[in-house]
Amino acid sequence: MLRRGLRNVNRYLLVFAIAVSLNFFLPRLMPGNPLALIAGVDVGLMTPAERAELMEQVGLNEPLLAQFFDYWKSVLTFDLGYSYRSGRSIAEMIGERLPWTLLITVGSLMIASVVGIILGGFSAWRRGKKTDLSLLTSMISLQSLPSFWLGMLLISIFAVQLGWLPSFGAETPASGYVGWERVRDILEHAILPIITLTILSIPGAYLTMRYAMLEVLGSDFIRTARSKGASERRVLFGHVARNAIAPVVTFLAIRFAFAFGGSVIIETVFSYPGLGRLIFESVSGRDYPVMQAAFLVFTVAVLVANLFADMMYPILDPRMRVR
Amino acid sequence: MSVDVRPAATAPSEPKERKRKAPRLANRLGILGGAMVASLLFMAIAAPWLAPYDPAERVGLPFQSPSSEHLLGTNDVGQDLLSELIFGARVSLTVGIVAAVVALILGTTVGVLAGYYPKRLGRILMQGVDVLLILPFLPLLIVLAAYLGRSLLNTIVVIGVLIWAGPSRVIRSQVLSLRSREYVLAARTMGAPDRWAILRHVLPRTALLATGAFVRAVSTAILLEAALSFLGLGDPLQKSWGSILFWAQARGAFLTPAWKWWVLPPGLMIMAASLGFALIAFAMEERINPRL
Repeated sequence: MLRRGLRNVNRYLLVFAIAVSLNFFLPRLMPGNPLALIAGVDVGLMTPAERAELMEQVGLNEPLLAQFFDYWKSVLTFDLGYSYRSGRSIAEMIGERLPWTLLITVGSLMIASVVGIILGGFSAWRRGKKTDLSLLTSMISLQSLPSFWLGMLLISIFAVQLGWLPSFGAETPASGYVGWERVRDILEHAILPIITLTILSIPGAYLTMRYAMLEVLGSDFIRTARSKGASERRVLFGHVARNAIAPVVTFLAIRFAFAFGGSVIIETVFSYPGLGRLIFESVSGRDYPVMQAAFLVFTVAVLVANLFADMMYPILDPRMRVR
Repeated sequence: MSVDVRPAATAPSEPKERKRKAPRLANRLGILGGAMVASLLFMAIAAPWLAPYDPAERVGLPFQSPSSEHLLGTNDVGQDLLSELIFGARVSLTVGIVAAVVALILGTTVGVLAGYYPKRLGRILMQGVDVLLILPFLPLLIVLAAYLGRSLLNTIVVIGVLIWAGPSRVIRSQVLSLRSREYVLAARTMGAPDRWAILRHVLPRTALLATGAFVRAVSTAILLEAALSFLGLGDPLQKSWGSILFWAQARGAFLTPAWKWWVLPPGLMIMAASLGFALIAFAMEERINPRL
């Protein structure tokens, strides 16, 4: 198990190295002026002297290899640099965005996993019956739902038509709310994004749970439990669910990574000031340094989620502890 | 991600009536998906005859509600929304299908090589596949699209290059089991070069699996194209369903009653297209590996 964990750590380090290298090489290999792609500024509007100064500052005059080392050094020392467009520290920008994204992704994932696990377990237990088949069909349909469209519809219906909930942002601007008032305000703003992300995450949790349950249901020890006269409830909760939960947790960790990435779209629809919205803003504003930094943060989040899944698996599934 | 999160269910012993109902459902869903895809393809091909107006032409006043002249109203510059919807099928389906072809070619090549040479080459290739599967998908898609610039070809390339990893895994596992079958061994013992064994014996037998993976890739690619266009990273000259929604969002159509004719229809189209292919894929996968 230890060896297995270590092998995965190597892989994650490799993924991280590749993400950093992608960040470094993509703007330098693309057609067009690398200065514009790296600093994210309008090169055309600058005088040659300004351009030369910026070249110097960004380090584009140095040999490629030296630039590569410098880039790694800044990444490893958490020196994310400045946004040349807004003049702000990128680390600061990310710091104020990250909590919002965590709020909606973690919130939605918790609801989605409870709903998905219950429905998936139920479906597998009623395998082949009408409830199972209609649940399965609706989950497959949900997977084809365009996420941003769902968000837009929810805004149209609940924020505009019915006027129940706010349609954008994470808080009422300049409201002066404090304490519980503020918490309520934040929750009201988070409800629609969370519902959207939840609806999108349920099918995955459901399908994983259903398959995992089916596999366990077909195994010998379930037959043994049944034949020794254990009640259906005991078989279901004591044996089947306990054994099916491990793959589901793994899935959820990976799903977290996915939902985290999906926040790019959801947060854009809801003008929610999270990390995903930041990546969108930096793309449309051509603020490339911010985009790169946000991409790295996304990568690290995914790796942490995977590492967490690796650590949880042996705890949940004793069979994985041997070897 | 070394843990397989989607184990193939071993078939438990089951009563007879269950056995009959499930495959029937898969078949029915497959036929339904086929019908959806066929009608959307028809719409895309016959667009010039079906659409009442030229979608690029300003044919009315901007922001009009539905009327007998403009069944779905007009957009912010006075183009007919129904015509845009009909012509949008061309862009969305083209990107979806061509990107899936790119993914299929990459996925099959990597999958067959990794399965046929499982030791060194296969290990390295699958390591690459794992890396690609771990990287944060949507952010990477957006970063690539942002650097490459907005064009139809770039959208296709970016999507195709990012979605081949899944299919390649499926094909690899099939090839792994095929390469030790008797007829492959026989061909190799008789001195057939690897190229012959792969092209003649292995590749044809992955066809069914590859087709299933391809259809599923189309379903994914259609959704991704819509997402990219919605974020404003699609081709500015070729309006897909996603770009209609981009403009609806940019002009705040979903904050007015216009959402019923401006926001609702393109989303339904995207969903129908993606679902149509997904249902076909589901029916095919159910044939190969029953999980109902």
